[in-house]
Amino acid sequence: MVAYDLSRRSVLRLIGAGGASLIVGCVPLPVKAGKADEQKPLEPNAFVKIDPNGDVTVTISKSDMGQGVRTTFAMIVAEELDADWTKVKVENAKADKVYGGQGTGGSSSTRTMYTKLRKAGATARAMLVAAAAQKWGVEASSCTTSLGKVMHPSGKSATYGELTGAAATLALPTDVPLKSKADFKILGKATGRVDNHDVVTGQAVYGQDVKVPNAVTAVVARTPAFGATLKSFDDSAARKVPGVLDVIKLGSGVAVVGENTWAAISGREALKVDWDLGPNGALDSAELEKRMVAAVGEHQSMPSGAKVVEATFDFPFLAHCTMEPMNATADVRDGTCTVWAPTQAPDGAQGSVARMLGIPAENVVVHTTLLGGGFGRRFSSEFVAEAVEISKAMKRPARVLWTREDDMRHDQYRPMSHHSLKGAVDGSGAPVGWSHQIIWPRSTRAIGGYGNARIPYNINGSGMAEGGADSPIPTGAWRSVEHTQLIPANECFIDELAVAAGKDPYEFRKQFVNDDRLKRVLMAAAEKGDWGKSLPKGWGRGIACFSGYGSCVAHVAEVEVKGDEIKVHRVVAVVDPGMALNPKGVEAQIMGACCDALSTTLKVKVTIEKGGVVEGSFPDYDWLRMGETPKIEIHIMESGETPGGMGEVGYPSVPAAVANAVHAATGKRARRFPIRISELV
Amino acid sequence: MAQYKLNVNGTTKTVEAPADMPLLWALRDLMGLTGTKYGCGISACGACTVLLDNKETRSCQVTVSEVGNKKVTTIEGLSKDGSHPLQKAWVEHDVPQCGYCQSGQIMAAAALLAEKKNPTDADIDEVFNEHVCRCGTYQRIREAIHLAAKGGE
Repeated sequence: MVAYDLSRRSVLRLIGAGGASLIVGCVPLPVKAGKADEQKPLEPNAFVKIDPNGDVTVTISKSDMGQGVRTTFAMIVAEELDADWTKVKVENAKADKVYGGQGTGGSSSTRTMYTKLRKAGATARAMLVAAAAQKWGVEASSCTTSLGKVMHPSGKSATYGELTGAAATLALPTDVPLKSKADFKILGKATGRVDNHDVVTGQAVYGQDVKVPNAVTAVVARTPAFGATLKSFDDSAARKVPGVLDVIKLGSGVAVVGENTWAAISGREALKVDWDLGPNGALDSAELEKRMVAAVGEHQSMPSGAKVVEATFDFPFLAHCTMEPMNATADVRDGTCTVWAPTQAPDGAQGSVARMLGIPAENVVVHTTLLGGGFGRRFSSEFVAEAVEISKAMKRPARVLWTREDDMRHDQYRPMSHHSLKGAVDGSGAPVGWSHQIIWPRSTRAIGGYGNARIPYNINGSGMAEGGADSPIPTGAWRSVEHTQLIPANECFIDELAVAAGKDPYEFRKQFVNDDRLKRVLMAAAEKGDWGKSLPKGWGRGIACFSGYGSCVAHVAEVEVKGDEIKVHRVVAVVDPGMALNPKGVEAQIMGACCDALSTTLKVKVTIEKGGVVEGSFPDYDWLRMGETPKIEIHIMESGETPGGMGEVGYPSVPAAVANAVHAATGKRARRFPIRISELV
Repeated sequence: MAQYKLNVNGTTKTVEAPADMPLLWALRDLMGLTGTKYGCGISACGACTVLLDNKETRSCQVTVSEVGNKKVTTIEGLSKDGSHPLQKAWVEHDVPQCGYCQSGQIMAAAALLAEKKNPTDADIDEVFNEHVCRCGTYQRIREAIHLAAKGGE
């Protein structure tokens, strides 16, 4: 059924069979003063530009750290624009309020920008259609668009490039119609990344690859312990190293500035620094854990007569260890500053540089490069501040490079945490009590703010409390943030309640889960993951699930325990992303998060000794390798909800699925992560 | 400081550097070939992998004075236009996520294929267990190598 709703500003409205309305037409747009310049591009908003040669440039306001936002955002704009995908290019935005918040994290980029970018593309399309309609003297509503062209049933057609000049003279339409999902041609299709060609030919530009004429390179001698202070330094040998230009005291340490990276690194090796270790010089992980355990308070009471279960879980600090260590380049001159940085928060960096230099934010230009990994690490801007400090002192553009060891020992760590859980099941096998006490380092910004231990199960009177223990270790966001600890603790403990109730852990979850989307993926994971089927002796299967960031997922892990070794053979993931805008992107995120979770469940941790971090590089922070990576099977199960976040949802249930599988294999529980067979109880 | 003649990607280039400067920094800072990445500087991650006479080499572990007449091939020298079978296979399988480690991974794959035309999964594991990818692209790296080994078919 087709209906014309001319009362509403001449918009053609198509009522679909299902009753959903699809607005396919366009508002006839008034012409602004002036004559069309055919060589003028159409730039209706900050996000899209169409050149007279037909090239479409999408400006990406969020940082791409591997999550593929440059590809997804371009797809969203191109979809509503009906662009020819082969003519779409992307360009990173500079820090600017015009884009809204540019901080990239919390799996929020697509969720916050989806509609905004659709409108940006649809606006450009409406103007191109209106320009064509005016040119041809036809109704805009009678025109269609496809692959970068406007067409009319009469046979007339024009490429977008031919229309930019005329379209640019039109007033901006408001309330542009958006496509129906059923008409999507680009979104929902498995699409390769826009940066692939540049990556495989070595042309992709990360922070470290920025070439600024006349720039110096610095590395910084950093504190050996958190809270340590500089007593003195002797730079006489460092200054003799060929290529060393200067040695400067910074807020964060002592910078050795060189003509190139090797000069700076060699100079730092020759630098003698005397540190006062400060108040934390004797602090270690054991002491921090003791403080955390001591901070646990009273649990809420459990129903009388119920079977009570108790457990504790401990998680260590984790480093982000992005493949590209922290770095930034800055050029401070004449009351302005230009920054090139692999940052997750270009606008945050702009603000902090402006405050630092006492200049207006608009005098600070921040260019976001590609990021060689992020995972939350690049939210803070201390590396940008160092580049600015050095450039200011040297009166030249300056690049600061953190060596791998600098990066690992001066991170904003995923906090360590201690969890005390108490729960109960009644005679019928139903969960009737749940109390989760979480102790964070008090330095964690999360204290009092995390409260996100909501459990997706029907348990009356479930509760959670947070507490803090003194710690000087800097902490920050790490992929999946608090869910890296809360969910593994919860999902291991629900397994323990199931066992106490004499029930199968999957059936128990299925019976009491109170989230329909989660229940669907849980059931699908059990099926795809062969839940209940026999396994060889010494093997076990574990299940866990998570709902968050607008998406949900369930994992089944198959492990073999042999001596001291835990071998994960297979992981099955069923994910409901709402809608998979780019299925390849969804798969990559779920796979990557699974690899992260396996690394941190089986392998790596950050250890504190003498107030500093012991681990310095990949030999002692030994990330998952190819040969250790199990078969990871990913099933996408769209619920049709709006697109959910994808960067983080894939992590939290994996550690629990693995720990629960270890229990199935050994009859013993993991209480500490990463899991060591010798520490099972 | 001394002058070193380096044969890089088929062209001889002269650089002035101290004898102990790793090839990595000579490539990146003195020759502007930034496709080769710094990841750890201690041969532990593989991001800086290049070919030296077609052998997989960590450019952070060989100095400019040690290169001699050996032919250095970097990611930029594999092909300029992405037409090398490995580059095509990497795109076909959409391997990169952040992409930072991938030039090292591709160069290691090039060395492997130069030695073994049709590597098994075990052959691939042996080489790539020494390479870190922080995004978890391992499964696709393996598929891309098999694809390139089969001539991209």
